[in-house]
Amino acid sequence: MGAKYRKYQSKSEIILRNIVVAAMIIYFTVFLIIPIIIAFAGSFHNWNPLSGTYDFLGLENYKDVFSSGLFGTSMINTIIFSVVVIIFRVGLGLGIACALNSVLVKHKTFFRAVYYMPVVTPMVAVAFVWKFMYNPQIGTINQIFGLDVNWLMNPKTALIAVMIMTIWKDFGYAVVMYIAGLYSLPSDVMEAAKIDGATSWQTFRYITLPLLKPMTLFVVITSIISYIQAYVQILIMTEGGPGTSTYLASYIIYDEAFVKYNFGYASALSFVLFVITAVLTWMSFRVSGDEEA
Amino acid sequence: MPKKLNSVILNVILLVMGVITVYPFIWMILSSFKQNQEIMALDQKLLPEQFTIQNYINMNERFDFMRFFFNSVIVTIVVTILVIYTSTICGFVLSKYKFRGRNLLFGFILSTMMIPWCVTIIPKYTMIQSFGWLDSYKALIIPAMFSGFGIFMMKQHISKIPDEVIEAARIDGASEFRIFHQIIFPMSKNSIASIAIFQFLWTWEDYLWPYLVINTKEKQLLAVGLKMFNGQYSTDYGALFAATAVSIVPVLIIYLFFQKQFIAGIASSAVKG
Repeated sequence: MGAKYRKYQSKSEIILRNIVVAAMIIYFTVFLIIPIIIAFAGSFHNWNPLSGTYDFLGLENYKDVFSSGLFGTSMINTIIFSVVVIIFRVGLGLGIACALNSVLVKHKTFFRAVYYMPVVTPMVAVAFVWKFMYNPQIGTINQIFGLDVNWLMNPKTALIAVMIMTIWKDFGYAVVMYIAGLYSLPSDVMEAAKIDGATSWQTFRYITLPLLKPMTLFVVITSIISYIQAYVQILIMTEGGPGTSTYLASYIIYDEAFVKYNFGYASALSFVLFVITAVLTWMSFRVSGDEEA
Repeated sequence: MPKKLNSVILNVILLVMGVITVYPFIWMILSSFKQNQEIMALDQKLLPEQFTIQNYINMNERFDFMRFFFNSVIVTIVVTILVIYTSTICGFVLSKYKFRGRNLLFGFILSTMMIPWCVTIIPKYTMIQSFGWLDSYKALIIPAMFSGFGIFMMKQHISKIPDEVIEAARIDGASEFRIFHQIIFPMSKNSIASIAIFQFLWTWEDYLWPYLVINTKEKQLLAVGLKMFNGQYSTDYGALFAATAVSIVPVLIIYLFFQKQFIAGIASSAVKG
């Protein structure tokens, strides 16, 4: 570690440190490590709390996961969902943050506060609002655009509808993160580029964008982690339907665990998802180059 | 004048995005003051023609919705205060004290943020059951007392407070507890505001955990109540709009109230550029 230890540590320092470190270790052991171990053991069992079964199955649950057509469909849906939402989140976030950073725009704080509003509203409630907005009878979306689309009941549009809602809810987060990133850019580099006669597009492409790479990486990784876990909007808006068109990976786990009470199978699914999350996170670090890893 | 034109274009784009962002909120709130026949009408107007608060009365009389609301207020405030305190004190110890295994512990806490909810929720549920905590607020509060995200945010922030400030207080004879409560805590206002808003939101919107551990309807929280309400009265749209508005507006008020500190806190501690 190479940390320098102070020669003298006061008694109160030692007491405070011991209490806090012990509390952290106890908490994370009880509510994280032990549950992970229980879930891992459970994923090799036929585990159903309603019938009281807990029988060893070996790798059966994992085999079922990979041979299940529904899991395959849900992974494809999750990938489409995540990729599209992340592209829009990053694109809109970067674009709007740059616009807000421009000297040509007034009322920056006002806009920033407005864009962030959906991020801090509860997903359950927001999903209901959008469910009503998509409603073909009372919904405002068909009214405004003069459309006649049954958004959430048509397998072609249901996932798109959920993605639009999620982009609306989440892009403000990327806006604020990029504003923070732009704010910490070195101004002398920008000045130098201007003096050398770079156009604003060149400055953006060759200076701003590369310097914002750590922030983009941060937004992409946190987005991957949260979209692999997304299920609330599905639960409220579509319950996976119509057909299996909006089944996302986490929604299947919710369904298997707390509707069908297949705890063992749901645990196996969870670990598969956990490994996928870890691999994708690691890959994002690799793709972005080694300097941040 | 290209500059003027650019400025107009930029401002119009930002304004349009702003309207798209705000419109669903406005539509929902205005609809909650409409009569049901007006909500179902073929040609709709944004503003209610006949302003009514009957939806809010119905929501409460038929479903006792405000009980869920106040249950949620209590649980959310308790959890948020606890998380603020534990995050700040853990962040202080992890950033200002040097001890063996510190980086390992912090690395572990960071990695907990990557673990999906679904991995731990089943065993946590069976554990709570065996502790005999089902149907009590202990099950909602105790497993939520520490937050990996909160500890991470506070560690990032407190490590920027200069050591000299703490050393000076030590020389003056202040105990570590006093240094924490009277120096570190007040100096962390922005980051505390951002943790407060996030934690408030997460507890407020959490659906699955209260749905699993709380069985008595009278003790249930808002997010679960909203879902139950939608199942039972799916034709009373007015009351549904009212209930949805009630579950969004408090969070928005808190955000708008603290948004300056909040955004400064996010910006200062989220990523080291």
